[in-house]
Amino acid sequence: MDNSNKTGLAQFADNLKSVKSSFVGSFSRGGWPTSDKGRTSTVVNNFFLHLHTAKTHINTLKPSYTLGMGLISFFLLVIAFISGGFLMVYYSPSTTTAFNAVKDINFVVFGGQLMRNIHKWSGEAMIIFVILHMVRIVYTNSYKQGREFNWVIGIVLLILTFVLNLTGYMLPWDQLSYWALVIVANIAAAPKELTDIFNGMFGITLPDIGGATKEVLLGGTEPGQESLTRVYLLHILLLPLAICVFLGVHFFRIRKDGGLTRPANVSAGSGESIISPPEKKGGIFPTHKTYGLMELSKGRTPAVDTDIENTVTSWPNLFIAEIAVFMFTLAAVVAYSYFFDAPLKEYANPMIPENPAKAPWYFLGLQELVSYSAFMGGQGLPGLALAGLIAIPFLDRENRDIGIWFTNKQGKAIAIESFIVGSVAVIGTLAFVVTQGWFREWWPEIHQLWIVAINPGNLLLGFVMVYTLWVIKRTNSTRMGAISLITFFLVCYVILTYTGTVLRGPNWVFYWSPSDWPIH
Amino acid sequence: MSEETRDKDGVSRRDFLGLAAFGTAILGVVSSVAGSLRYIKANVYFEESKKFKVGTVENFPIGSVKKLDDKNVFIFSEEAGLFAISAICTHLGCIVSPVDFGFQCPCHGSQFNHIGNVIGGPAPRALEWFEISQEIDGSLAIDTAKTVSQGTKYLFA
Amino acid sequence: MNSRFYLSLMLISSLVLMAFLAIAFNREMTPVWKDYQTEYKETLIKNAKDDGTRERAEKIQVGLQQIYIKALNKSDRCTSCHAGVENPLMAAAEVPYKQHSGNYLKNHPLPKFGCTLCHRGQGRALNIAEAHGEEHQHWDFPIVPAKYIQSSCASCHDYKMLETEGGEKVAKGEKLFREKGCLGCHKLNGVGGALGKDIAGIANKAYYYFSMAAVVGERNMYSWIKQHFDDPRKIVPESQMRAFLTDEEADLLTTYMLTFRTDEMPRSYRLIKNIDKVATDGKSMYTAYCSACHSDGKTSVYDEIFARTIPAIRNPSFLKTISNSELKRIVKEGRKGTQMTAWKSEAAGLTEKQIDEIVKYVAKDRPSEKSRPFNVAKIKSDIERGAEIYNNRCALCHGEEGKGGENLLGMTLRDSALSPEFIAITVRDGRKGTPMVPFGNGGIGLSNQEIADTVAYVKNLTNDKK
Repeated sequence: MDNSNKTGLAQFADNLKSVKSSFVGSFSRGGWPTSDKGRTSTVVNNFFLHLHTAKTHINTLKPSYTLGMGLISFFLLVIAFISGGFLMVYYSPSTTTAFNAVKDINFVVFGGQLMRNIHKWSGEAMIIFVILHMVRIVYTNSYKQGREFNWVIGIVLLILTFVLNLTGYMLPWDQLSYWALVIVANIAAAPKELTDIFNGMFGITLPDIGGATKEVLLGGTEPGQESLTRVYLLHILLLPLAICVFLGVHFFRIRKDGGLTRPANVSAGSGESIISPPEKKGGIFPTHKTYGLMELSKGRTPAVDTDIENTVTSWPNLFIAEIAVFMFTLAAVVAYSYFFDAPLKEYANPMIPENPAKAPWYFLGLQELVSYSAFMGGQGLPGLALAGLIAIPFLDRENRDIGIWFTNKQGKAIAIESFIVGSVAVIGTLAFVVTQGWFREWWPEIHQLWIVAINPGNLLLGFVMVYTLWVIKRTNSTRMGAISLITFFLVCYVILTYTGTVLRGPNWVFYWSPSDWPIH
Repeated sequence: MSEETRDKDGVSRRDFLGLAAFGTAILGVVSSVAGSLRYIKANVYFEESKKFKVGTVENFPIGSVKKLDDKNVFIFSEEAGLFAISAICTHLGCIVSPVDFGFQCPCHGSQFNHIGNVIGGPAPRALEWFEISQEIDGSLAIDTAKTVSQGTKYLFA
Repeated sequence: MNSRFYLSLMLISSLVLMAFLAIAFNREMTPVWKDYQTEYKETLIKNAKDDGTRERAEKIQVGLQQIYIKALNKSDRCTSCHAGVENPLMAAAEVPYKQHSGNYLKNHPLPKFGCTLCHRGQGRALNIAEAHGEEHQHWDFPIVPAKYIQSSCASCHDYKMLETEGGEKVAKGEKLFREKGCLGCHKLNGVGGALGKDIAGIANKAYYYFSMAAVVGERNMYSWIKQHFDDPRKIVPESQMRAFLTDEEADLLTTYMLTFRTDEMPRSYRLIKNIDKVATDGKSMYTAYCSACHSDGKTSVYDEIFARTIPAIRNPSFLKTISNSELKRIVKEGRKGTQMTAWKSEAAGLTEKQIDEIVKYVAKDRPSEKSRPFNVAKIKSDIERGAEIYNNRCALCHGEEGKGGENLLGMTLRDSALSPEFIAITVRDGRKGTPMVPFGNGGIGLSNQEIADTVAYVKNLTNDKK
């Protein structure tokens, strides 16, 4: 209004002259930040950056502390999203065209095979890194002081990661897809094992929940076009949406729960300045230490209670780290994808099962358990394992030594001990089952109830529970129990998965190596 | 940690590392994006051959006009020879229909005369003429990938 | 310190990424078909006899080739490497540049038929191993070996035409299939015995349908079918298949077997000049359905594979004792406990009329004079005496339980439908042309009373549940 004395045309001419700087300025308001204030406001004012804190503790930036697992998982998801979008350009979800579309992606699309490999491997790598991220969280004692909720969100993200991978596995509609779908559908139907046992036992008839789940999943009683449509919907819309929402909450909570945990002692650089954090007391969800919108937005910010001197501006320090991890993840995925092709078998054939009909590798640990009892292996035990994981922060509430790997020497010892004991227990159980068989082999007439109730999987779980309790009793610390439990979980998952993937051949017979498998 | 390097003048070792790192990172991302864009362009099209057989000369008695509906081609037979005119309007690709003055496009009202020249409406060019050739077995083939100049008529034995 | 670490990580990662993008790009730009097409083009230019040819050769654009056939939902990219299939100049060239042999492409233009319709293989693939389906490659239908390629002709053409117009192998195979009596054990399109597998659609069965453990050489459907003709029990240990074929016959039959496809051609692709008529006279049907086991039916022989003696059903002395209606009943219902299939329409799929024709043919040589009647019912028989006679005289061939079977020359006697009179007459008069000698007055010399006792014992065995 101040230049109202100018004519409209003159104003227009002036605006036209400065259009370049005003256009650029509208995007980058503060220009390139040169002061700490500018760096801070850049972070706060940018939509994409403002989820970060303006300042970051230097210990958070130490690569040896988090190992970047969570960030790598997130970037893998980003890569999978983008590559998945590209795959959708050529894919079409029909039982008659899906297989050909995937073949075309492999054969004639420019970089198609690479794109498909990137999608496949980034998705599957997510499973590994999400699990390692979880293990890191437990080992560094990072599930406390308000982070309990976020831990549960994390478990939800783990499940979503599994299901996303699984639904993606179904889409090429090859033999792998088809028979994995059959197996998964029947695992969904496995509660029938239980309902069948109790049916007619006390004069009651239980509804066949398992069967109903299976039919809803497949849109029929056996896999077909309806199933593919449903799985496709899940894979490209519902699950990605869900994972985005939960991931948003996950990140939001990290912010609200005071950033990443970190060792309190500042030993970075030359100075050996160790600043102890103030003593904290209170309930499980500390709600004091709030600023900003005060009581409206509850939570803690990283810079309040502790050493402001040991923080640096997030711009550029944190972002350099994030971009570096992204480039690392991308480079690793592309390099791996260059060498290893995503598998594609024959066109789905409902007459001839793959032998062995294996689920994708990340479920082969479960399939090993499923080979004892479909219900316990497919639903009971994983359900219990997840429940156990969810329970960790609620059963261990020792709010000491947050952010320190293994807490102390004893923790390290317990981790190693659990690793050895767990390995021996799992391998021992497997060796026993492989050589001796189980109830069905000894007493072919045995009632299914006995197998559901007592099978190697259940015994293993029981052993883990008892051993963990014993650790708690011995060390007089629930924290040690948590370390022990997560180690058992990791060991069980890895060894069972290895067994199911490599050591089980046609007819689920034990072989030392796939090269020993008989020719079909 | 970086206070001292930040304040230095000129290109310090860290600045060089930073420049190199960001430079290559941007290059890497840009080439990934470029590759991905190339990925979108399909290498093969799922379309039938542009060249197709239409039968022998006897199928086209002099004075007749035949429209091949699935190929969108008019085949005219005259004393001077055979010629094939595209039925695809040069404006925005609708299919023209034969009328008494030539061809009329239903979408935006383009009008063409008997040899395909624009006589009305928004069409920028005349309708295309296609090559007709005779195969070894005597049958005629039209190749819609090969246009010929207006007025090219083919006489076959 | 940390930012130094991260910047280095960023730099190294970015360099690695670019390096891999570069080699991936290079791999993408140098597919194997490009080399083949370039060489094809260069050969054409080099060998060009006149300027016009050279000019046309120089105009060839090297690029991915695809024949897309909407009606068949096929995308054949074979011509990306086999660039010269339509070029007469390449008639003498080496594969993959060679022109297609014969004049097949004249009547089967590539834009309409493509390649994999006849040759199978994976048309979408662009590398040799996967396109040809060498060593499986997770592709169920590899390239059909040249010697069986005529099997594809039958998808659209009738056998009468194929016989004279370039499909003689598959036509011969079809004839052989009937002559060898394959349908006696195998069902095809609803008709045929139940002893072997149903072979309808066998040429579209997946790789894993066939057990490849004993297959020699390339493991695929084609080798399996051929080798299982050569030695059925080597490929399928529990097989009872009676295949006695020369190598050539096995190849012809393999060719014919490969016509049993499930992917039907659209009408516009089929060219049926003659309606193939399956002969329905008694003799042809006997050959198609019965001869694989009974051969000409004149002599009864012990069969190692079936582990029992196969009866001589056209033996006059047998026919003398059995009526047409009895024969028909056996054909319709089969013989329990033996390999004999029930041929009624609900089982092996022969119509009443067809069975009548077959029975008529089987009974063609029945002698005019009838057997002397043997009225067993009138004689009061003694089972214990019969047992003694049976064990002394009959058990050697028919077995103590009267079941016949492994290492026994005799038939099973335990068919409740065998009338006592039929057995009695056979015992008395024997079976000419078989090891069964007359046991009555004309031969061994058993009295009618003794024969009746034996028959009573045999019938008693039948009722025995053992």
